[in-house]
Amino acid sequence: MDANVRERIIKMKSMVFENLMESYIPFPMDKKLYSSWTESLERNKKTVLYTSYMYQISGILKRYEKLFPKIYRVNMPKKLISLSKFIIRPSDSELQRSFSILNNISSMLKKNGIDFGYLYEDEPYSGAILLESGFLYEFQKYGEKLRDFFHDRGIEKLITVDPHTTNALNRLKEIINFDIDVVNYLEIINFKGSGDYVIHDSCLYSRALNMYDPIRAKIKNAGINIHEDYLVTSREMGFCCGGPLSLISESDSEEISKMRSESLLKVNNNVMVMCPLCFENLSPYIDNIKDLAEVVS
Amino acid sequence: MDYEWNVAINKAIVNNAPKVEKILRENPYINDLAADLREKKLDVLNNIDKYIKQTEESVLRSGGGFHLARDSNDAIDIVRKIIGDKKNIVLSKSNVLYEIKLRETLASEGRDIWETDLGEYLVQINNDMPSHLIAPAIHLTKEKVGKILNENLDKSIDENSKTEDMVHSVREFLMKKYLAADVGITGANAVSADSGSVILVENEGNIRMDTVLPGIHIAITGIDKIVPTLKDAFNEAIVQAANAGFYPPTYINVSSGPSSTGDIELKKVTPATGPREFHLILVDNGRSDAIKSDLMESLLCIRCGRCYFSCPAYRLYGKDFGTSPYTGPTGIMWSAIIFKEYDKSEMCMHSGGCGEVCPMKIPIPKIIEKIKFRYTG
Repeated sequence: MDANVRERIIKMKSMVFENLMESYIPFPMDKKLYSSWTESLERNKKTVLYTSYMYQISGILKRYEKLFPKIYRVNMPKKLISLSKFIIRPSDSELQRSFSILNNISSMLKKNGIDFGYLYEDEPYSGAILLESGFLYEFQKYGEKLRDFFHDRGIEKLITVDPHTTNALNRLKEIINFDIDVVNYLEIINFKGSGDYVIHDSCLYSRALNMYDPIRAKIKNAGINIHEDYLVTSREMGFCCGGPLSLISESDSEEISKMRSESLLKVNNNVMVMCPLCFENLSPYIDNIKDLAEVVS
Repeated sequence: MDYEWNVAINKAIVNNAPKVEKILRENPYINDLAADLREKKLDVLNNIDKYIKQTEESVLRSGGGFHLARDSNDAIDIVRKIIGDKKNIVLSKSNVLYEIKLRETLASEGRDIWETDLGEYLVQINNDMPSHLIAPAIHLTKEKVGKILNENLDKSIDENSKTEDMVHSVREFLMKKYLAADVGITGANAVSADSGSVILVENEGNIRMDTVLPGIHIAITGIDKIVPTLKDAFNEAIVQAANAGFYPPTYINVSSGPSSTGDIELKKVTPATGPREFHLILVDNGRSDAIKSDLMESLLCIRCGRCYFSCPAYRLYGKDFGTSPYTGPTGIMWSAIIFKEYDKSEMCMHSGGCGEVCPMKIPIPKIIEKIKFRYTG
């Protein structure tokens, strides 16, 4: 592999890690804006809904990845990056879509009798990007900081809404004494829905977190008709949206996204995802693609 | 993506993955065997020195020669000492033979050395490298094979020839090589510590020829292939074949020492019809270090190759995903162990299908995560 790739990855690691250790976010972003999807949730609760900004920033992650080599090449000081044009904002439609999804999840949790709060702009990022890039030492160090952050606020339980955050926190339980309960919203709610879909499983939900069968059972019980094909949607043969490859090669990442989209569309025209990053990677190639939280209530 | 590769890999997936799923569904005992085998192999890895010693004693007891090679050079030196100036050699498909660069080294010394597995033979005459652990020529379409054979073996074969004719042409060529061979060199699917037996699974029949016709049979494999008993070795053969999509396997070969007979007064005499010499060379080449590391579970791999077809990176990159012959998800682990190469791990998307289908339940995504850490940590 090109030596520059290694250098770029290591540079990204140090930038992201430094940002996280200083400010709990991987790169400069407007936390106030991203937490403005609700005003009605209480701040001081032992159980909180934890977005880790994943739905809100999913639309701009790819643009950051494209921008990263430029930042890396000019070796710009971090403070300048924070103040500069390098703060990328999602479009209004991207932001509204993410807000709508988060509000629906919040509403379904309440309907299911679950009491929870939200940290608003104090919410930290989970550190998933460190884990998924193999930065295990940095992930552990940031995980310890994250655990202390939640301890200091008396938080005992986190309700996650996306696979990357859920997986990262579960892995922290293996690596350090991360003694805060972690539960994904799909594990604790029931919902109603309709329509015909082929599911593009999140790799993390279905395989790393062993949620393939429970999620399918809930979707079927909701009244949604699922179309299956062993080579496309089985736990063994279903595969990635291509997103994780984008740091190495944008074109290779897009090739996987395209390949995955084509195989899904052979099963059904309506595609359901459960991960904001899967949506971003597949939506350029699929017209009728929805997040589960846009389909059920 | 290369068009030819895209066609080849999609055909392979369609032909193989549903077949393996059906075999395992209809023969649930195979998963039970796999679970038992995992425990047995873990026991071996945790007590590797004891099992190497036991294997040595068993091989010597059966009249064979036992050799432990530290690395590739050591293994090749041992082979040179065994074969002396013998020139005619046939090989069966083995990743360890690639790992130690046996064919190219012996060929450079002027020996006539031939791969006898059809796929490996095609790879050899095409000056290529294998693209899959058990299907080395998976990247070659039928048309491409016709062209390669036309240019290298038989002018009557071309892109439009029937597959049967292509296979027949190679068979004719290899038959002459078997009959002329002084030495047959194979790998091993498993080696039983209690009997010193080498188990080899195959469908083509070439391994039978390689292990019986030449006067000397040398089996070269990694120390990770040791299992406690002959029963475990047979179980490994069944589990490997089923997960590779070949069930029942056409042949399972057992070699326990040189050929022998007890037909006269039941007194064991060696040699009989088959080889007069049998040698087992166990290769370390970084495996002992891996056993002591966080890559240990990688050594449970039985080389069924099932993980390849559940991997998006392999679909995209083919044999570039890893260091040949160790490609695909398991190849990323083995490239790290043997060649200390970590960079290709960055191509892994942690899709996780590899870990799902692995019959040995190796947590491949988590191990690759650790290899990524070695690359950038």
